[in-house]
Amino acid sequence: MLIMGCVALIAGCGSLGLWLASRIRRRPAELRACLMALALLDTEIVWGVTPLPEAFGIVKERTDLPWQKFFAELQERLERGESAGTAWKETILSQNVNFCLKQQDWQVIGDVGHGLGRSDSQEQHKQLELVQHQLALIKDQAGVWSEKQAKMWSYLGFLCGIAGVLILI
Amino acid sequence: MSLHYTLSVVQAPKVKLNSTEPMTSQTEGSLCRSDQSAALWADMARWFGPEVRSILDKIKAVTFQEVEELRLRVGQPLLVRTSDQDLFLNSEGEITNPNKAYFVKREDLVCALERMTHSSVYAVEEDLRQGFLTLPGGNRVGVTGEAILQHGKIQTLKHISSLNLRIARDILGRGLKILPLLLGADGTFGHTLLISPPRAGKTTLLRDLIRLISNGVPQLGLVGLTVGVVDERGELAGMWQGVPTYNLGYRTDVLDGCPKASGMNMMVRSMAPQVIAMDELGHSDDVTALMDALRTGVRILSTAHASSLEEAQNRPTLAHLLEQGVFERLVVLSRKNGPGTVEGVYDLKTGRIL
Repeated sequence: MLIMGCVALIAGCGSLGLWLASRIRRRPAELRACLMALALLDTEIVWGVTPLPEAFGIVKERTDLPWQKFFAELQERLERGESAGTAWKETILSQNVNFCLKQQDWQVIGDVGHGLGRSDSQEQHKQLELVQHQLALIKDQAGVWSEKQAKMWSYLGFLCGIAGVLILI
Repeated sequence: MSLHYTLSVVQAPKVKLNSTEPMTSQTEGSLCRSDQSAALWADMARWFGPEVRSILDKIKAVTFQEVEELRLRVGQPLLVRTSDQDLFLNSEGEITNPNKAYFVKREDLVCALERMTHSSVYAVEEDLRQGFLTLPGGNRVGVTGEAILQHGKIQTLKHISSLNLRIARDILGRGLKILPLLLGADGTFGHTLLISPPRAGKTTLLRDLIRLISNGVPQLGLVGLTVGVVDERGELAGMWQGVPTYNLGYRTDVLDGCPKASGMNMMVRSMAPQVIAMDELGHSDDVTALMDALRTGVRILSTAHASSLEEAQNRPTLAHLLEQGVFERLVVLSRKNGPGTVEGVYDLKTGRIL
């Protein structure tokens, strides 16, 4: 019985650590997907001169979850007649639970919404390019950081479990 | 698209109700009409920000069917134009004098522009440069503001100061009256130019003629012809994402948003049209391309701004065309008895009024 309890405690803490580690590992992947999506959006705006609702639809088709849902909501909001700026802000608020991104990431992504669709394509391109550049920097930092953190959490979970077992025994 | 559908439905009740009908059906008719008007106002209101929208939602005094233009100017009262009146609206949607009317704010224009472009100003850059936008349904919105120039050419407009929403009407059957006059002795369709001052129904008549020519009119012995429409301003077909809003007939191909000069060449080369139709001839490039197209044997159907034959002859680009004897028929329209009044049809070869 005692042994079973010990195993359960270690397994519980260990899986919690692994879950946390997997969330940390998802962040750079999500940032990479965001960069891809913004590049697509940029192409649609500059080369395709596609109106935003349609452009979001195209981006939606070509990204995976959770970004797919993000752009689907954006498209829906724009079709309902919201302005692009508020739609972007509101979508971030309603969708950020589905992501593993940090506050600082959302701040940069939120910058896309300022003036989105309000100027000519050259200016839109410049704005999106700036955000992409900033996001790329964050992504590089996040890559190194998350690798360390993820490793730490995956070990730490099990170690905490073992420590707990030792204390309890 | 829904806009067009409802618009064409509303044209019918314009006919006066038969006086022998019992009173109940008359009141029902007018109720139905006011319902339709409210629905159409609501449909139009979606293009505006919250404040203007609430005004348009409350309008009762003017039926939508009478309205020709809706004008928003920064710091000026909200104005609705019918065929013979300018009406100022207050924030309750009632007609009032200019001083008590609702004064349009800059945000109203920004909001309207954002909604009309689906938050995609960059997508209508080319149109904005020419000072207009086209809404789904073919309604055209005139835009003025501060022009930004680069190398002497208009780059874009900023600080938008006025919007003029012109409501497109689709009036069936008017073309049928003048079409017989446009046919030559051998029953073939001749090169035709429709002229009128602004707001006199040129585009509406042109659309009707395109449909008739494309479908053919058996009672006039006119078989359907392949028509190529070069719709530079997206107004003729009211294209929205590749689907035309207006019915332009069975044999009509539409080149949407293409400059007339290059569009004519493209059409002739790729779609083998028998008739090429376009709106608002006026640029010298258009004239050169038109002369080219004439050599390929197509018939031309076009419109231009001018209120009379004399005025047309004084416009350099048109004068050149008229001197060359390009057009066989000239139709002059005016607003004398409402939009679309036909002032006269001229046979330019003989100079006779038909």
